[in-house]
Amino acid sequence: MSYVATIGEREVTITVEDLGGANYKVEIDGVGHVVDAHQVAGQLWSVLYRGASFVVDVAPQPADEYEVLIQGDCHKFTMMNEQRRAMIRAGGKGSAGKAMLTSPMPGKVVKLLVKEGQEVEAGQGVIVVEAMKMENELKAALAGKVKEIFVEEGEVVESGAKLLLVE
Amino acid sequence: MFRKILIANRGEIAVRVLRACKEMGIRTVAVFSEVDRKALHTRYADEAYCIGPAPARESYLVIDKIIDAARKSGAEAIHPGYGFLAENPLFADRCEKEKIRMIGPSAYAMRTMGSKTVARKTVQAAGVPVVPGTVEPIATEAEVLRVAKGIGFPVMLKATAGGGGKGMRLVREESELSSSLRMAKSEAKSAFSDDSVYIEKYIENPRHVEIQILGDRHGNYVHLGERECSIQRRHQKVVEESPSVIVTPEMRGAMGKVAIEAARAVKYEGAGTCEFLVDSKRNFYFLEMNTRLQVEHPVTEMVTGVDIVKEQIRVAAGENLSIRQEDVKQSGHAIECRVYAEDPERNFMPCPGVVTSLRIPGGPGVRDDSGMYEGFEIPIYYDPIISKLVAWGKDRAEAIARMKRALAEYVVTGVKTTIPFHIRVMNNRHFIEGNFDTNFIDKVFFKEEEARELANEEVALATAAIQVFAEERKRAVARQPGEGAGPVSMWKYSTRPGIRKIG
Repeated sequence: MSYVATIGEREVTITVEDLGGANYKVEIDGVGHVVDAHQVAGQLWSVLYRGASFVVDVAPQPADEYEVLIQGDCHKFTMMNEQRRAMIRAGGKGSAGKAMLTSPMPGKVVKLLVKEGQEVEAGQGVIVVEAMKMENELKAALAGKVKEIFVEEGEVVESGAKLLLVE
Repeated sequence: MFRKILIANRGEIAVRVLRACKEMGIRTVAVFSEVDRKALHTRYADEAYCIGPAPARESYLVIDKIIDAARKSGAEAIHPGYGFLAENPLFADRCEKEKIRMIGPSAYAMRTMGSKTVARKTVQAAGVPVVPGTVEPIATEAEVLRVAKGIGFPVMLKATAGGGGKGMRLVREESELSSSLRMAKSEAKSAFSDDSVYIEKYIENPRHVEIQILGDRHGNYVHLGERECSIQRRHQKVVEESPSVIVTPEMRGAMGKVAIEAARAVKYEGAGTCEFLVDSKRNFYFLEMNTRLQVEHPVTEMVTGVDIVKEQIRVAAGENLSIRQEDVKQSGHAIECRVYAEDPERNFMPCPGVVTSLRIPGGPGVRDDSGMYEGFEIPIYYDPIISKLVAWGKDRAEAIARMKRALAEYVVTGVKTTIPFHIRVMNNRHFIEGNFDTNFIDKVFFKEEEARELANEEVALATAAIQVFAEERKRAVARQPGEGAGPVSMWKYSTRPGIRKIG
């Protein structure tokens, strides 16, 4: 199977082939190695790569993003298989100009800083969510109009819950 | 000695206190909110009482409920830990009235040290150096100007009733004074309904060094040396160590002596900490006294061998301190990293959730004071601290090496933690050289981190691709006919699980 990872501006092509026994042939931009990868718990992997041993924590995020933690370094990139990438490229315009703000953590909506229909700037604080005694102001990803607000002040929200839509 | 102690706290500090009680053969009583029924402190204690709903103001902060649990259980003493009721003189008053011993200083000591100007005045009278400035609040602009000129710019204007940075203004030169004073007063007025301010010399790039003291009701005092707490993020300590690289034996002796004088001035009983600012010429100035056990107490325990919580309990029971000053010896070096459920990749946003897997580091010289276990749901309601990882070494270099090693062993999945941040700090050149002040993390470290290249990118990409590959295959298998709904993919749990709806 073939995947494309995007790291900042860079694109990297990765192919994975199952060799059995938790061994995989992985090619990164055409250079191949055998990777011995055992899933030890949840998203945690023990990886032997070119003789070196690593503990790797692969945390999938929304929108095909991944955060991969190795020895204190957090690698961030998006990754998807080629079909999915082709699909998004073909119909990708549908979501342009819209930004759904979701709660990055479970918590309580303390304050709404905007109303439906209000114009906001990119980076403007729009909602305050409290978790663990800390208030966190969440910001609009792009400039536009607040199309819809999905929560009320005082409401307890889960991680990933829709908060508001800016268009 | 007490036969039974109630611990009016939760999480890692409640577990820490429980451990001391168990080792002393004292029965323990936990209190827990509705979301903490399965928390470690509830499980570890001999008895446990529910004290109400999750929000602290409806449970852990309600004096009546704590007292009620103490009555029901027959506990003779209450250990408040830190935070919650630990520095609340009303709680100390109430315990006294109920004839339950609160393990901590008197309400009088708490009140005196709780007010910044009263504390300043009290310790100054005892001969303790304070940051040059006024002790009394000052009223007129002319007077402010006269004092500021006297101690020299830059100066800080601070609200007498202040806290949390409100009503605080840095004044670099005379021309800024008038407008800064106006703003400080108006901020203080709106935040504390009290517009009085006092003035202090501003110490540029200070280090934060504090002295641990212990006292008993028989007038015995010892100090256990210093802790270096300059590694702070937004004024919050994140890494502490003992000893401090800048403290010489003479300086330690002098600081210890004045810390004891400050404690004696309020007839301090139990464990307390005097915080000092240290300038680049190693002058030290009293900042404040914390009238409780500190989060970072383990580094002192590791280098002195004194169990501070046990001493607190002994002293509260009316016994003498078990040590004299000449018994206190610092041996080796200890470092503590505060592990928070926060995401260092997202500006340290709190990250509650379920700990899906956990491996706690061990081996020589490593201590983990934690309140979590695999499967534990870290609640959204409380402080995000989940563990204090401490490493001891024969010297600072070995302590850093051990801490790095232990952090690399520490695995927590399901929630984001500050472990990766600590690995970066331990690898930072300035930290290793001991060259930092309280602004280091915010002003230097993060800039250096931004410019840094990440290692092992290929491994990250390869592993992520293998995970996606395995997931796709599992989904394909689950879709095949005859398999029914198939097992729930474990990838459902791979993103952070949300909390259950409460209330």
